[in-house]
Amino acid sequence: MSAPEQTYETATSRLEEIIRRLDSGEAELRETLALCKEGRGLVEFCAAELDAVGQGLQELRLDELVARLEAGTARPGEPG
Amino acid sequence: MDPVTEQAARPEGIAGSSLPGPFAVGAYARKLQEELRKRARVQLVGEAWNVKRSKARVYFELRDGDGALPCAMWNDAWERGRIPEGAFVDGAQVVVAGGPDYYPGSRTSSPGFTFDVTALRVAGEGDLLAQVDRLRRKLDAGGLLEPQRRLPRPALPRTIGVVTGESGKARDDVLAGLARRGWEGRLVWAFAPVQDRHAAAAITRAVQDLAAVAGVEVIVVARGGGSLADLFAFCDETLCRTVALLAVPVIASVGHHTDRTLIDDVAAVACSTPTHAAEAAVPLHCAEARVTVGRSAQRLADHGRRAVLARARHLAQLSRAPAQAVAKQRARLHQLLREMRASARRGGVTEAGRELHAAAAALERRAGSARGASAAGRRAKLDALGSALTAHDPERIVARGYAVVDDGAGAVVTSAAEARAAQSVRLFFADADVRATIEEE
Repeated sequence: MSAPEQTYETATSRLEEIIRRLDSGEAELRETLALCKEGRGLVEFCAAELDAVGQGLQELRLDELVARLEAGTARPGEPG
Repeated sequence: MDPVTEQAARPEGIAGSSLPGPFAVGAYARKLQEELRKRARVQLVGEAWNVKRSKARVYFELRDGDGALPCAMWNDAWERGRIPEGAFVDGAQVVVAGGPDYYPGSRTSSPGFTFDVTALRVAGEGDLLAQVDRLRRKLDAGGLLEPQRRLPRPALPRTIGVVTGESGKARDDVLAGLARRGWEGRLVWAFAPVQDRHAAAAITRAVQDLAAVAGVEVIVVARGGGSLADLFAFCDETLCRTVALLAVPVIASVGHHTDRTLIDDVAAVACSTPTHAAEAAVPLHCAEARVTVGRSAQRLADHGRRAVLARARHLAQLSRAPAQAVAKQRARLHQLLREMRASARRGGVTEAGRELHAAAAALERRAGSARGASAAGRRAKLDALGSALTAHDPERIVARGYAVVDDGAGAVVTSAAEARAAQSVRLFFADADVRATIEEE
């Protein structure tokens, strides 16, 4: 069974959990460093997700996608 | 007045009138009721106005341009009609079935003519509402109002599909909603006619095609307000079944908030305006999310640095502790050494002797307090010790012509080997000290 896919929601909710644990001051050095490392990974994931929807609106037309699909030049999921 | 009296008191008719009577009005009213009820029962069409409800009946007037009839319908007949809420309002086009009736009244209640309605159907727009209501019940019975609501909706979709009219205002509203969220991802427009019931097939196809486009995570179906007939395409059974069973969540915004089309019922979310629908498609405010993520990154960095720094400081303290202890002991040793040398120079032995004398005196005092012959014995022994100490006082020895040798730094030299090792020594005589160098033969 593969691990559930990471989403923005799961990433941010885990990140909040990590920060709560660190804020509690109960984590030992080894755990603290492991949590910081995991948290940095999550921050990078979230930042990448935000970047993906922050690079300028890309507008496509379904009829054009379908036409290209029928022409066999591209799959609908891979426009251009 | 009893009937007999009434009968007796009936007045004469109008002089010169050829009409029969006079008859008692109650009897005539009942006869009229009887006659009216004999009339053929029919269906009538018109607009319902002045709709009023009582505990037992629903009253309204059925009107058209040429005339009107007061109508009444018993509540049980009304319930059997399952007329949808909101369909039977002033001005609604209705078809009624029934026949004329007359309430004869009494001495204490007013008489009245009514058209007794036994069945009623809302026609026109009301008819559409009734159809929508029937279809809604059908979809509900098929469990199709729930599946979309159970679909997870992404907080931050990368690709959004939108079904709307190409020239309508809804398109701009969707863009405005997305801009408000600060969302600039991939938008796939599926333009479709959204005007009438014939548009349903095109909208159904658009929704299906969008769901098939890889990466489309949410679909917005948007249309501005209009009459129910205009919006009827969004009540199409095939469209609604398609949406209900779609694996991609659909956010519907059809008509204004007062309109309720069937797609609103089967969609994951129903919004009052296309702008709200766009906002619902991207629940996250992107600019705020960036700030939040940045803050999280900062807090993580702070925690990491603080954890390492605090522990490093603690370790440094721990590592310094032994060195500090050694340094402290070394300083104490130096101090003791200095004191010893100084003491040696000043005749520390004499000092020690004095201390010993004092101790002896103390002992003597205590001994004095002791009883018996042993006290005298102890005193004699102490006297002897005192004399021995005095005989060993270095000052007295030096005074007798001896000298004390040290290495120039305070350490007493007591052997030839030490003197040879020191090379340079000091000789302490009774009057002063002199430097001397050891010469080897």
